[in-house]
Amino acid sequence: MNGIDTGFGVWNPIAWTLLFAGALVIAWVFRVLGRSDYKRGSEQTKAFLSGNEEPEPEKLHVRGDHLYWGLVDGLAGYYRRIRAVHTGVLSDYVAWFVGVLGVVLIILALVR
Amino acid sequence: MALPRSFKRALWVFHVATGSCNGCDIEIVAALTPRYDTERFGIMLTGTPRHADVLLVTGPVTRPMLPRLKRIYEQTPDPKAVVVVGGCGATGGVFYESYNVVGPVDEVVPVAAYVPGGPPRPEAVIDGVVKAVAALETAGVSK
Repeated sequence: MNGIDTGFGVWNPIAWTLLFAGALVIAWVFRVLGRSDYKRGSEQTKAFLSGNEEPEPEKLHVRGDHLYWGLVDGLAGYYRRIRAVHTGVLSDYVAWFVGVLGVVLIILALVR
Repeated sequence: MALPRSFKRALWVFHVATGSCNGCDIEIVAALTPRYDTERFGIMLTGTPRHADVLLVTGPVTRPMLPRLKRIYEQTPDPKAVVVVGGCGATGGVFYESYNVVGPVDEVVPVAAYVPGGPPRPEAVIDGVVKAVAALETAGVSK
């Protein structure tokens, strides 16, 4: 079997196909050796979570914001105030912008 | 239904504490120590009921543990045997008719063998497991 020398190794589709076929056969053998007398649709097909009820998949899902949970929790007081300000109303945001701009201009005038 | 080969080769046991004081649990652990060494008989504790042949239940069934015991029993593949270790699981013991206890184990799941004692010695625990399997063999595995 002559493969393609890529400079980083040899790529041979036949060898890879045989490898995957062998892996599938091994997986099939494991499956055949398993027991088939379990009760379908019962607790026997659900995950064992120390006897607890299996939650919905959505509740088990690890969300992206779990990665920076510690940051959000550490700044909880800051986020609580900021979220209260974020009303979603555009006129509120414009009012904040105009107000902050006015404060900045006053500070600049005083400094000069 | 004949007992599968797993019963004849190695008996895997799952331990459920449904409200015990840990006295019986300690004796179960003692049965695994080199002094008693149940693994030489192929009896060993497993971490999941899905691999277990026998459930070892200790303590009376408290209310929070009721659905959990039922679920663990259902998750254990058939055929299976439940062995109650200790007097509290067998009768309620000192917790008999307590407000937070549902009752003895056999009011929740079918029991194959009882090991009396408070707590029983490791030899008795091993004997109970062996008797439960023998009962399953003679009864033709109905559970």
